[in-house]
Amino acid sequence: MDHRRYMKVLKLDEAEVASRRAFFELTDEDLSRLAALRPFAEKVTDAIVEDFYKLLLGHRETKKFFPDEATVRRVKKTQRDYFLGLFNGKCDLAYVEDRLRVGTAHQRIGLSTKWYLGAYRKYMQLICDHLFEELRDQDKVRDAFASIQKLVYFDVVLATDTYLAANIDAIERHQAAIRELSTPVIRVHDRILLLPLVGSIDSHRANQVMDNVLLKVSEAQAKCIIIDIAGVPVVDTKVADNLVKTTAAVRLLGAETILTGITAQVARTIIQLGVDISAMHTLSRLAEGIELALSLVGKSIQSSARRPTRRNKRKTVRT
Amino acid sequence: MTGPIPILRVGRVLLATIQTELRDNVANAFQQDVLLALERGAMAGLVIDISGLETVDTYVARVLADTGRMAKLMGVETVLVGMRPEIAATLVRMGYAMEGVQTALNLQEGLAALRKKPREE
Repeated sequence: MDHRRYMKVLKLDEAEVASRRAFFELTDEDLSRLAALRPFAEKVTDAIVEDFYKLLLGHRETKKFFPDEATVRRVKKTQRDYFLGLFNGKCDLAYVEDRLRVGTAHQRIGLSTKWYLGAYRKYMQLICDHLFEELRDQDKVRDAFASIQKLVYFDVVLATDTYLAANIDAIERHQAAIRELSTPVIRVHDRILLLPLVGSIDSHRANQVMDNVLLKVSEAQAKCIIIDIAGVPVVDTKVADNLVKTTAAVRLLGAETILTGITAQVARTIIQLGVDISAMHTLSRLAEGIELALSLVGKSIQSSARRPTRRNKRKTVRT
Repeated sequence: MTGPIPILRVGRVLLATIQTELRDNVANAFQQDVLLALERGAMAGLVIDISGLETVDTYVARVLADTGRMAKLMGVETVLVGMRPEIAATLVRMGYAMEGVQTALNLQEGLAALRKKPREE
């Protein structure tokens, strides 16, 4: 996932950066103070990065991200750039984008937030120690540290956001996949469609079922659609109401809906809830639904032994 | 004829194909035209084809349904044909399912439905 996409997902624009900076009380004065600390940063960066990696390489969970010497050398170089980046005296969109890129890289390799954010603690301690050593003057140290802290916290929040954005993105992709699988409309026979509903139905999915059913009926110019709800664990008022709505809409197109898979439990629920489903054809078994559908298009299933009574029986049921 | 929607006579069936967006006044004129045409000749059925309609609001839906009911009073069955899926979904979500109006998928089906014995509502 590209960090530029996260910029969009997180709605990071000029205004957003400005509002975050205001909340962190990260003023231009802080930034110029940081810029003034640049010589200090350049002097201590190597020592800080070395100590920082002692922590990371000293723990099994974090060490595994640095499999060889080359990797360690590379990340130390990146870390130096990151550290010096705090002392550029800038906190604009380009800075945010750069920080987001770093966060994305960490998220991508699968480093969990507890280590990523936890490592900042060491970072702050190292910076604090070096500030005391270099500046000596207590007031100066306090001001410098406050400015650094603001920008570092600003970074920490961006990093957290990156992880969240990645998760939201993953969830959205999964939802899209589920959506595609959730309304499988099958053509059973000439002008007869079947929609086997499996799994729970929330209002979002119910709407989708309706839209998709209507689209497919219209496309196939289907005479009827069988909706089988045997695989739906809970049929509540909302689900029942939506099935009634779907039936009404299908009727407006000029087709009919047959509801099958109604178990004893569901029948009880529907009656107890007082949902009026008198306008719908309802049957307990899918096989019966298919027979009824066939009779609507003027066809019937006959056993080879010829049992003509079956079709007649169905007709008497309908009128 | 007062409205812009052509109403054709095909045998004993009156056929109205709505191709333009129905504004309120057009819908009213259409209703008037249909009823006058029914008054003139001995008609067996009325088919309203709305496959060319991209949007229908509840007012227009009500005018169409009312036209069907009025025709029924004059002894003529009405079939509404070719409603688009989006329109059906919208009408039902707005709580207007046009109960009592006979529907069919397309013109051919609509004519076939009129040939059959009208169903009891």
